[in-house]
Amino acid sequence: MVFSSATFLFVFLPIVFAFYFIPFFRNDERKELKKKNIVLCLSSLVFYAWGEPVYIVLMLLSIVYNFNAGIDIEKNGNNPKARKRIFVFAILFNLLVLGFFKYSGFVVENINSIFSLNIKYEPLSLPVGISFYTFQVLSYVIDVYRKDCRAQKSILNFATYISMFPQLIAGPIVQYNDIEKALSSREHNVRKFSAGTLFFIRGLGKKVIFANTIGAVYTNICAGGVSSLKAVDAWFAILCYTLQIYFDFSGYSDMAVGLGKMFGFDFVHNFNFPYCAVSIKDFWSRWHISLSSWFRDYVYIPLGGNRKGTARTIFNIAVVWTLTGLWHGASWNFVAWGAFYGILLIAEKYVFKDVIEKIPRPVRRVITMLIVIIGWVFFSSETLSAAVEFLRSMFGANGFVSADTGYILRNNIFPFAVMSLSALGFFKKLPTLKNVPLRLAFQAAGYIVVFILCIVFIVSSTYNPFLYFRF
Amino acid sequence: MTNNTGKNENAIRKKKRITAVCAVTSAVFFVIVFGILVLAIATPDKEKSESENRVLKKFPAFSISAVTDGSFMKNFETYFNDQFPLRDKLIAFKTKFERSLGKTEENGVYIGKDNFLFEAPTKPDEEKIKELTDAITAFSQKNKKLKKAFILSPNATDIIPEKLPKGLKIEDRSENFKTIQKSLSNFSWVDCKASFEKYDKKDTLFYRTDHHWTTRGAYLAFKGLSDEWKLGAKGKDYSFFTVSDSFQGTLSSSSAVGDATDKIEICVPKKEAGKYTVLYESSGRKTATLFEEEKLNQKNQYEVFLGGNYDKVVITTTAETTATLLVFKDSYANCLLPMLTPYFSKIVVIDPRYFSDSLKGIMGETQFTHVLFVYNMDTFLGDSSLAAALES
Repeated sequence: MVFSSATFLFVFLPIVFAFYFIPFFRNDERKELKKKNIVLCLSSLVFYAWGEPVYIVLMLLSIVYNFNAGIDIEKNGNNPKARKRIFVFAILFNLLVLGFFKYSGFVVENINSIFSLNIKYEPLSLPVGISFYTFQVLSYVIDVYRKDCRAQKSILNFATYISMFPQLIAGPIVQYNDIEKALSSREHNVRKFSAGTLFFIRGLGKKVIFANTIGAVYTNICAGGVSSLKAVDAWFAILCYTLQIYFDFSGYSDMAVGLGKMFGFDFVHNFNFPYCAVSIKDFWSRWHISLSSWFRDYVYIPLGGNRKGTARTIFNIAVVWTLTGLWHGASWNFVAWGAFYGILLIAEKYVFKDVIEKIPRPVRRVITMLIVIIGWVFFSSETLSAAVEFLRSMFGANGFVSADTGYILRNNIFPFAVMSLSALGFFKKLPTLKNVPLRLAFQAAGYIVVFILCIVFIVSSTYNPFLYFRF
Repeated sequence: MTNNTGKNENAIRKKKRITAVCAVTSAVFFVIVFGILVLAIATPDKEKSESENRVLKKFPAFSISAVTDGSFMKNFETYFNDQFPLRDKLIAFKTKFERSLGKTEENGVYIGKDNFLFEAPTKPDEEKIKELTDAITAFSQKNKKLKKAFILSPNATDIIPEKLPKGLKIEDRSENFKTIQKSLSNFSWVDCKASFEKYDKKDTLFYRTDHHWTTRGAYLAFKGLSDEWKLGAKGKDYSFFTVSDSFQGTLSSSSAVGDATDKIEICVPKKEAGKYTVLYESSGRKTATLFEEEKLNQKNQYEVFLGGNYDKVVITTTAETTATLLVFKDSYANCLLPMLTPYFSKIVVIDPRYFSDSLKGIMGETQFTHVLFVYNMDTFLGDSSLAAALES
């Protein structure tokens, strides 16, 4: 189930709201919170099973195993050997499960092509959200091992943390430390719920109205194959993709944050106007923040970060970015995409450091954006060679304008312009109405209109006429 | 001191106001989310969707196996989407909204001027054209004695490009028409493109809401054929009747743009010789008409002509002639066939897209004197069944 489906919004959500908010134990706060966690946990499992009825077993297994691992690590506080053994086992277990489902096909494929073998394998369907919840579980096990937090004693709270549906399938990656307290005591009030609603509506609008619309333009332009695109068309297509992926992903994160707030949690914000970045490092402190922080806290710093000399730092950055690439997908173009950023970050840190500081900020923004856009070429392509073909098209390998160029631009320039301005934070900077009540009234009306428009867009996307076309 | 408290009070009041507005927004959110669920439960399920021309999903049967393999969930989502309250109105609103923002394309359909809708034309592929014309030439060389004619109708995009949305340029296919004509030198070429372009009311040759030519367009092609074969058909021999003015065709359906309706005319030969019987071979159904009136009550009213598309239809007429005709066609021919009935005693109509029989058998059964191909450019360029049918 995705948040932007009618079933989620108008069946799942109201039912969960009803059970969650109608108090069962008016006079006993602890019991009431326990009930709320039960509702949240059960509904999360239903949410997950809705799309993945079989893989729910995998998730339950992961919950039970890691819950026990956490307690065992803590119990063996005086026995470093045993602690370490349990810890290493838990890490291996989680990585193996992730590796088996996500990377086994990729590994077999590469072994086949390197050794010209023909090992057969059945491609597995990827359990939804496994990359996200595995990382959450890892953060928990590592934190317990490092004694950064206590082991969770309630399996209900632990299961609620791992399976929590608002962030289950597309993040943000919530580190256990950040919500440990909220699991056992949190506040629910109108203000928080309302703030959550606004977040949610904004995210839904980003996804349904912006991302889907501009994504269709990208798909449309690329429908005839990317190897024959004219330069202007190719650039416009990748710009559309650039907007799509931002609004899609940040929209999903906003919805997650919003739902989290409705249920009393405060998740980290995952995006902070990434397309306003002035350097690659800056970009990654604004894009998918929860992933970058995860890699920083659990890979880069444990490897020694930048404290062990230049050579070691470069090695550490290389490791982190190869892994970041692979995390996004089991295919060479993602590895290339990660390596691309790794190399750029190293270059930024060691080669161009002094030069960059002299360049005026607006120029730095443009350069950063160009690099990010080229990165998206690798990200959006299915294979490495398709990415190269796309780049060739962008740089004029097939000429510059097509017969359709004018029409494509004319038809889409308005939504494109609005979305670009929005992504660049332009609307945030507009002067606001001085009259506060009036401004607030406009804002409230705006959010409601956006929500209704979202419903219109969601329902329309299921329009499915039965035709005898071309017959 | 007092100043400071005043500031604090102000800040508190401001905060309260913000909270109030947010609360109003989330209250409305709550009402909508619950309201739609209640409405969805309260409104009875619909059987079918008129605008989408299909049966809507019913509440899926519940079983353990349907849940474990996920089919229950998938079907439930389709069911809920299909039965969504006010679904048709919301969809119509979306198209209007997008068009008001200047969008001139919906689901692959171009929204042109004067309510004209256009299908994106098939891009010509020279290799494919050669394969097709080679197959047709091979067939004609095997059947040298037959009188052969080819009707290749252009599409609306070729004839009235001025009705396309502003700024949209469509590839000029004139060269492709010429190439095809040249490759089929054994055929009498009915130059539809030229006669359509010369016609003074060009915008009546194609439906605005459908991808077919109108009966007027077909009639113009027929007159061209009559000239080529010297059938001697005259305008006064034919009557036109309007049978519908509520037609919203395939382009209207797939774009969900329903601003305009088209009228459907039928063209009937006046002569007594126009009497005939029609045999639909695959089902064995027999009728005495090429017009299926009850199809005017359904969404796709174009099926009034020949009742739709069938692999093989045999028309036996009372015309006093020994001339017999074999037709290879797409759906464009369906409204043209009635005009041919006075000139042939037997017409066998093959739609290669559905045809799996043997052509040799059919040609052995009947000694044909004429053969006619009727295609429109879009279908012809995308064809993948004609060559196989000609070799069968």
